[in-house]
Parts: sequence; structure tokens; C-alpha cells
Amino acid sequence: MHRVFRNKTAIFLFVAPGMLLFALTFLVPIIVSGYYSFTDTLAPGTKVTMVGFDNYTNLLFHDERFWLALRNALLLGIGFIVIQHPICIFFAILLDRLGGKAEKIFRTIFFIPCVISVVVISKMWLSLLDPTFGMLNKLLDLVGLDSLKHAWLGESSTALGSMLFILIWAGFGWGLLFYYAGVKGISEDLYEAAQLDGASGFRMHLKITVPLLKPVIAVQLTLAIITALKQMETVFLTTNGGPGDSTQFLAVYLYNKAFSASQYGYANAISVLFVIVCLLATYLSNRLTRNDATDF
Amino acid sequence: MKRYSKLARASILTLAIASVGSLAACGSDNGSSTSDNNSGSGDSKVTLRFFSNLPDRKSGQGLAEQTVIDNYVKANPNVKIDVETLAEEPFKNKLKAYMSSNEPLDITMVHGGAELNTLVQAGYVTELDPKQYEGEQYNFLPGVYKSFTFNDKLYGLPRNSDYEVIYYNKKLFADNGVKVPTTLGELLDAAKAFRDKGIAPMSINGKDLWSFGEMYQNLVLRYSGNQNLILDAIDKKTKFADDESFLKAAQFLGQVRDAKMFQDSFMTADYGASQNMFTQGKAAMWYMGSWEAGMATNEALPEEFRQNLGVVKFPVAEDGKGTLDDLLAWNGGGYAMVSSSKHPEEAKKFFDYLMSANQWAKTAWDTGAAVPAQKYDLTGSESEVQKTLTDILVNAASTSGASAIDYGTPKFKDDIQNALGKFFSSKQSPEDLLSALQTAVDNQ
Repeated sequence: MHRVFRNKTAIFLFVAPGMLLFALTFLVPIIVSGYYSFTDTLAPGTKVTMVGFDNYTNLLFHDERFWLALRNALLLGIGFIVIQHPICIFFAILLDRLGGKAEKIFRTIFFIPCVISVVVISKMWLSLLDPTFGMLNKLLDLVGLDSLKHAWLGESSTALGSMLFILIWAGFGWGLLFYYAGVKGISEDLYEAAQLDGASGFRMHLKITVPLLKPVIAVQLTLAIITALKQMETVFLTTNGGPGDSTQFLAVYLYNKAFSASQYGYANAISVLFVIVCLLATYLSNRLTRNDATDF
Repeated sequence: MKRYSKLARASILTLAIASVGSLAACGSDNGSSTSDNNSGSGDSKVTLRFFSNLPDRKSGQGLAEQTVIDNYVKANPNVKIDVETLAEEPFKNKLKAYMSSNEPLDITMVHGGAELNTLVQAGYVTELDPKQYEGEQYNFLPGVYKSFTFNDKLYGLPRNSDYEVIYYNKKLFADNGVKVPTTLGELLDAAKAFRDKGIAPMSINGKDLWSFGEMYQNLVLRYSGNQNLILDAIDKKTKFADDESFLKAAQFLGQVRDAKMFQDSFMTADYGASQNMFTQGKAAMWYMGSWEAGMATNEALPEEFRQNLGVVKFPVAEDGKGTLDDLLAWNGGGYAMVSSSKHPEEAKKFFDYLMSANQWAKTAWDTGAAVPAQKYDLTGSESEVQKTLTDILVNAASTSGASAIDYGTPKFKDDIQNALGKFFSSKQSPEDLLSALQTAVDNQ
């Protein structure tokens, strides 16, 4: 066995299929994308004219919609981190303390949004938030708050907020699952010891649970930012970036540029920047959370 | 070789077997497609792939299309036609994806103008010989190839005469004592009257954005009385600031916005949602095209709605030069043959059959699904909606021949639609809208 792994040819042969797959499905598309980003082609198969860095200069200096889409994606990432994840951690702890049958039942209930298809979620929220027939507006009517009624997804002022709410809601189950697994891994002894020392409630969790969840939090932060940047399906199915670009997100913008506006070269330039932004965000979030794992 | 251990040898062997296996798989793939190619002349089946934007195969245009396909398959038992359908917007996107991968479809629905232009540039659709489609068998109306012709070459055939009208619910108008509008002023009055009663005055598919473009073109036509004005602006022969009709039209759109003429959810409503709103009697009017004639005979819709369905021409502007009979008409939808087809000869046979005047045109008209782009005979059993639509087309004093949003590049279409979407979802001034439209023209 040892001889096999010392043999360079054998190592190469073992690694080659994986590397080949990686190259063909990951590296080659990025390189081809990079090539197209320097052209003004309408679609693959049409005339290709090299335009140098034109696409990039237009994108970076003349395209407000791109920056808006990027801003919205980052806002969503911040929304995930600041709103979704604290709630996830809170509920993970609650679930853990609940115990017994109720724990299992609520665990299932909280995870339901994650097993529903994105299409169903999108259509469901479109109906719930419909200004005329939607449940939310009907409820507001019922309690006499009709001044608060809105065309939630259809007005520029409320569309982004509603969209963030839907996405945070839809991703809640996943976050909860990770944190719940993390909380379950914390030894009960620690809590007992803390209780003997007189710690209780909120303070105990702040000082024990949260620090011990750090490795989970670090992974989740990175995932949250990448999920936010890649967000596409729900937006595409509900508002398609509208009204008036108010819910424009990077991936939707990229898709529409490539397939609706037939600006394939330009869309590829967006995708290259997209990759760079994702890498940068991952690097930064890794840096920020790269503390040594807390050990007790 | 001697130094290789058992494990290494085993792995090399596995790799070798795997690669032979996958090569063999490719080989058998090729084999089956060759046998497919040969089957055209023999008794074995040929399968044609047909891609359409009409997912509803039980009513309207989808039913008409399916009827022609069924007719053909009955007459040609050796042919099987695989139909793939998607709703309008996903259809457009998937067709581009098919084009990118040169998918061997045989016949596809196409949208004339900007959309088809991209397919032509990619060489994805086959050139047609217009001479072949002259004469009795096809009976195309004059001038209908405009959106399907690029550099004097024809790449598709239109299936309908498309023109924008307002469908309205007679009962809602009568019950609420509202006059059916013939002028833009009356249209705003009607909007206000319905709003006061808590009824959505007009339904529109704002998420798809393109109906805004048709409405703007319609308004420019009503103010200027000149079908070519907006097309000239897109051709850069004139500017949006040069003719006050452009500004007046934009100002009217502003009034529409302020009067809340469209349903509350209009910016998230796609085609189906806007149609449902209207067919369920929740909106008094629906701004849409003649291709929806089939609503009057669609039994899936409530009887009460069908009996109360009416059609009117787009209203005139009180201070405009256009008349009621200047019609925003073009030929948008059609069919084309795909160049990567595996059975070009069989595909051509079916294509010609489909486009024959006694097939698509007759079926579409007889079932009340649409107004064809070919000559058709009145059968006497037409619905009232069909009769009105025929009158509107026959009495048109002028027709535009092109839809403005499809008149430029796909980028222009995207830009102009987004400019209009932005206008309707913000408090932007009409002047700002004009400059956004001008920018869209300049950057195309």
C-alpha cells in the first residue's frame, strides 16, 4: 500500500479523473467566460468581435444597475448575518432546551420551508403579499391598520424589504439545522458547571453556547454571503428584479443580460466580476472569523 | 511496469474499462441517431421536435396548434411529433439556451424582430424562399414578412395578425354606469370611476414589461397620427425631444400612473396573472392583443365572463392627430425551421403543412383562437369578439408593421422596457422618461 502512494504515476492516475472533471466543469467554463467577457457577442455561435476592456469599463463606471444589484446582494448578505442567524441561534438553543417530543415536532416544522420547492415558495409569497387578495393586506384590514396596506412586492419602497423577508424566512431552516447540530454537540456538563457558578439564562448562553458555536458561525457567515450573492430563483420568479430595478440582484441581472438582452459578452464580464466578488467575500469572511477554535 | 502493485494495476484496469465503456456508450448513441436519419424514407418512425410558447393545449391557440399537429400525424403515420411547451417568458429564455447549445429542434415558435434577429445571427434558423409561399396554398396577406426578414432574407413565417386592443367586461361597465372609453380622457374617467368602486380598472402584465412598450407606441400613434414616428426615432432619424407627441404620450402615461389605472399588483403580474384578474371579473379592462380572441370561446372560462367579453379600439387623444382606425398592428409570433434539425426534409414537409392556409390559419380562425396573417373566410359562426376584431383589422386606415420594442436590438428592447418599468414604479417625470428612452436608442 505504501509503495502505491509513493509511486508518482499511481498518484497521478488516481487524481487525474477528479482533476479532469474539475477542469472541465469548473476551470474551462471560467476561462471561456473570461474570453467571452472581452467580446461583444450576442450569444454563443454568433459573430465574435473583440472589444478589449470595454465591457469592464462600462460595467464598473457606467452601469448603475450593476452596482445596485451588487448592493442589494450585499444587503441581503448583511440581512442574513444580522437578522437571520441570530434568530437561528436563538431558536436552536430554544429547541435544544425544549427536549422530548416537542423538540422533534418543532424541528420538523422549522425545516419545512427548506423542503418546499422554490417555485412553490415564490408563488405562495406572491399570493400572500398580493395587494388585493393577499392574506397580509386582508389581515391589516381586519385589525383596522389599512393605512399600512401595500402592494408589498410591487412597490419600489417595500419590494426590497419584502424580498429580504421572504429569503430570510426561506433560508431559516438551513441555518437552524447547522446551529442546532452545533448546540447539540456542546456538553451538558458545561451548563451544569456554569449553573453551579451562578450563571443562568441569557448570560450563560452568551458566554458558553455562542463561543462554542464559533466554528459553525464561521462556516455559516461564509455560506450566508455566498448564498446572498448567488440569489436568483426566488427573485426571478417573483419580481424579476423589478419594480424598476428595486429588487435587482446580481445573478438575476446577469441572467437577464445574457438571455433577454442578448448581451452575452457583457453578461460574461458580469460573471467574471461575480466570481471575483464571491472569492473576495469568502476571503474576507474567512479572515474575520479565523480565530482559533475555542476549547474548554 | 514491474514496479506497479496490485492496487495500481487494478486501478489502471478499472480506468481502462470505464473509458472503453464510455466510448462504447458514445458509439451506440451515434448508432441510434444514424438509424433515425435513415428512417425518414423507410417505414420506421421519424420523431420531430416542436417547441412552442403555448402550454395550454386544450383551448385557444394551443388547441389550434395541437389540432394541426394531430392532423399531420394522422395523415403521416411514420411521423411522431414531440411537442415541448413553455409559457412566454421562460420560452424565450429557453430558446436562447437551445440556440447556445445548437439543440437539434426541428421547428420552433419564434418572435419576429429583435428575438429572431439573434437566432438568425447565430445561424440557428433556416432561410426560407418567399417565392415558395406565394399563391393560393398559403395565401399570406401582403407585408406580413416584415419582422421575419433580415437583410432581405426570410427566416420564418408569421402565424397571426397581431394588434393591440382593449378587452373589456361589459357587465362591469354596465353595472357601474361607466361609459366604454373612446377617448383618452374617457379612459381616465373610467379608471377613476372603477377605482371609486373598488374595482381594478385595467389589468396589465407589468412584470413582463412589454405591454408598457406597446401602450407607449399606441399613445405616440394617437397623438402624432404617424405610424412611422416612433420607428424613425429608433432608427435615429428623429429624436424623442423633437416631436411633442412623444412628450404628450409620456405625460399621459404619467396620468395613467397617478390615476392608478392598472391593478394594484400590476408590477408583479405576469401574463397569466393579469389575464386571470380580467377573466375572473376582478378588472374591468385588459390591455392585450388580438391573439387573445380565443377567450370568447374558451370553455374553461366562466360562461358569464364569455358572454360579457367585449373589444374596443384603443381610444383617441382629444388633441391628437391619430384616429381610431390607425391600428398598432404587426406580425409578432411565427414559426421557423431550425438549422440543426436531424430530419430537415421531414421537418420542411411538416412546416409547409402547418403554414398552409387550410391548416393553421383555418384552424386558428375556426376555433376562434386568433386572427391569422393569412386570408381567411368568414364561416358565419364567429363569436362577436372575432367579428369585432375582423372589423378592426379590415377597417384599419393604417398599420404600423412593427412593434417598436422589437424594432431595435435585443439590448434596446431590454433597456426601453426597463425604462418604462422604472417610470411606472417611481415618481419619475415624463421628461425623464423621454431622456431614458433616448439613451436606450443611443446605446443600442
